[in-house]
Amino acid sequence: MSKNAIIYSFHTQKSKKVAEKVIEAFGKEEIEAINAEELTKEVLENYDNFVISAPTWFDGELPNYWDEFIPDLEEMDLSKKTFAIFGLGDQKGYPENFCDAIGLMAEILESCGAKLVGETSVEGYNYESSKAQRGDVFVGLLIDQENQARLTKKRVSDWVEKIKGEFFN
Amino acid sequence: MNDLRIPKLYTIKKTPKEDLEKWYRLMTIGRAIDEKAPNYLKQAIGWSYHAPYAGHDGIQLAIGQHFDKNKDHLFPYYRDMLTALSSGMTAEEIILNGISKATDPSSGGRHMSNHLAKPEWNIHSVSSATGNHTLHAVGVARAIKYYNEKVVSISSQGESSVSEGYVYEAITGADKEELPVIFVFQDNGYGISVPKKDQTAQRKVANNFIGFKNTRIIHCNGKDVFDSMNAMAEAKRYAIEESKPVILQANCVRMGSHSNSDDHLLYRSDSERNYVIDYDPLAKFRRMLLRYERFTEEELQAIEVDTKAVIKAAHKAAMAAPDPDPASIYDFVFAEPVVSEKYPEGVHHEEGEKKKLITALNETLKAEFRANPDTFIWGQDMANKDKGGIFNVSKGMQKEFGDKRVFNGPIAEDFILGTANGMSRYDEKIRVVVEGAEFADYFWPAMEQYVDISHDYWRSNGKFAPNITIRLASGGYIGGGMYHSQNIEGSLAAIPGVRIVYPSFADDAAGLLRTSIRSKGLTMFMEPKALYQDPKAATVVPDDFEVPFGKARVRREGSDLTILTYGNATHFSLKAANKLAEEGIGNIEVIDLRSLVPLDEEAILESIKKTNRVLIVHEDKVFGGFGGELSAIINEKAFEYLDAPIKRIGSPFTPVGFNRILEKAILPDMEKVYNAAKEIIEY
Repeated sequence: MSKNAIIYSFHTQKSKKVAEKVIEAFGKEEIEAINAEELTKEVLENYDNFVISAPTWFDGELPNYWDEFIPDLEEMDLSKKTFAIFGLGDQKGYPENFCDAIGLMAEILESCGAKLVGETSVEGYNYESSKAQRGDVFVGLLIDQENQARLTKKRVSDWVEKIKGEFFN
Repeated sequence: MNDLRIPKLYTIKKTPKEDLEKWYRLMTIGRAIDEKAPNYLKQAIGWSYHAPYAGHDGIQLAIGQHFDKNKDHLFPYYRDMLTALSSGMTAEEIILNGISKATDPSSGGRHMSNHLAKPEWNIHSVSSATGNHTLHAVGVARAIKYYNEKVVSISSQGESSVSEGYVYEAITGADKEELPVIFVFQDNGYGISVPKKDQTAQRKVANNFIGFKNTRIIHCNGKDVFDSMNAMAEAKRYAIEESKPVILQANCVRMGSHSNSDDHLLYRSDSERNYVIDYDPLAKFRRMLLRYERFTEEELQAIEVDTKAVIKAAHKAAMAAPDPDPASIYDFVFAEPVVSEKYPEGVHHEEGEKKKLITALNETLKAEFRANPDTFIWGQDMANKDKGGIFNVSKGMQKEFGDKRVFNGPIAEDFILGTANGMSRYDEKIRVVVEGAEFADYFWPAMEQYVDISHDYWRSNGKFAPNITIRLASGGYIGGGMYHSQNIEGSLAAIPGVRIVYPSFADDAAGLLRTSIRSKGLTMFMEPKALYQDPKAATVVPDDFEVPFGKARVRREGSDLTILTYGNATHFSLKAANKLAEEGIGNIEVIDLRSLVPLDEEAILESIKKTNRVLIVHEDKVFGGFGGELSAIINEKAFEYLDAPIKRIGSPFTPVGFNRILEKAILPDMEKVYNAAKEIIEY
């Protein structure tokens, strides 16, 4: 049976809350929580499917815990692994790089051969540009707690339902 | 930041350990001084201005590591402490600047703290006016391109500086001229307390320049050492190989307040401050060094112990360094002029064919350009086929000297002057002449650069003199109204550091222009445009004539009254004097000052001792005009010799009207001088 993990920073507040919603939707016993700040290559190798939290920092950057792991990550062969990415962003305050971190992580993971799942529709958002967008879909789940917090619960549960199928195939 | 066109030359895994160690040392020393600087203020030692750089560590390290001293040119701004260290300046030099010692290599204690420079290495002294040096970086890049050097000019600045109009002028000019210059925007999101959203619609301010045809825009994470190093390497490679400008926007955070006169607790929340502190670039770099096992904890601690010792020694040495000498304040106000051996008084007795003032200027410019291949001239309307300058003063120059030395500037006066400043920084052999504006009236947009350039020689403690002659067609009597008649010398004379000359005759115009071009330093050369073609200003002009600065010329000798004058006013003053003599009312001495700054006080006082009466005549307004200064000097130094009150003739306190009737009512003329002179003589 495949092993699933959700990776997020345990020190965050908003991302952590959304991660907990994801875990709840998955079912606690189905997915293991891993602190992104303590992530190592070895940990990554122990699982098959991942949900990762990649909030966007500043004007379109990865959080430092991901950034610092990239030199290891980009050398890994992830061809047998599946990833679904969610991330927090602010489409009103930072419309030029809304949830860019999702796009940045997607690009790196794909370059390592990973399979990405969990695309979502771009409908329902209002922003200028996003590295998470490819055509008319996003490569992951974009959460905006600053402006659309009321939509988060449904967005998470719909998304988890979708990726569950991919993870448990 | 994931720009695939940027090669990853530097990574935590591949970069040699000795480089990583050097960087960690620099960053550790820099951060320690950054944090220690406020203590000097608390102890009343100095460093009253400190703009902490913490949060900009990655990009500042990278700028310095890519600056090749004595070859590249660097214009750091007031937050660039680590840039300076990384460029090779020492901890001691940083502290010498911070506590304003005489041996401070930046300015000898003259400039504000945190304004780091080492002109002898091409780390240039810059203004505190944000982004002011952007134009200088462009000017020096023009010289780099002209002399075909494979080096780069780097302007470093905060993102808020991009709100300044002159920064746009600089970037559009570099784009147009395709110059090898890198504009590094260190973006920490604030201009003091003003958030980015109040400065620009586009958060990524570099993207405001996307439409610029020849300018490449690169974004990087200025908090990250490797991303910054890679971005800076690519920016430099591209700027040099392609000879095109690059804007490098480095995303930084400001971990502290803007400066020690700002308190960011007043406008930043706890969560925001914690957010930025969380991304401390130094802490991140340290974690990376350990995580990827490039250093052990013990090795890093050993480096930290070493750096503490470096700072302690630097502090001790700087504290023991001498303070500036108060008697030195007059040093380096004006750069040294050339000394004329043949014409020490700026007079000649040559006879022959008379030349018009415009011809004298044109021939002198050409002669100087023939004699010195490192001369350049630009301005608006400078050269297009048979046109050469708005009044054709520079006619024929582009044909003779080519469009690399004689060329049009854009209609951007600040750009014209600012890039002259920059170009003259490239090499002291260079002499630049600019037509500062179409008319003196349009010079005001250049005042920002003018004021700053006036500081350069003094501020750099004599290390950099802008060798520039600014030519301005000045004054009225052409029916030009308020935008083609202004005299601005009264306002300019209040600014130390610039010589101001204002000839009235062709020979003096030629002699003063030659001296201006040959001398070190900055000269404002006022041309009375009404006299360009006027036969009364035509004289014999010796081919090699020189007029020293600060030498007045007695244009008519007399014993009953001294008229002090210059420019257009010299001519109607002479006419009035002749008329009064013919009428037997008095014999008047007319002194053409020629040079307002420096002023020939000796000639003025000598004449007054002889005549005991003085009338000051100029075209500019009486109120606030240069005559007020003359009057005050005479009052202080020659009151005992006066037999009558000093009088001044000039324009009333109004603009100059366009209708000739209004112009005549406003500008002084022979009749007004005649009446005033008669009144003083008869007093």
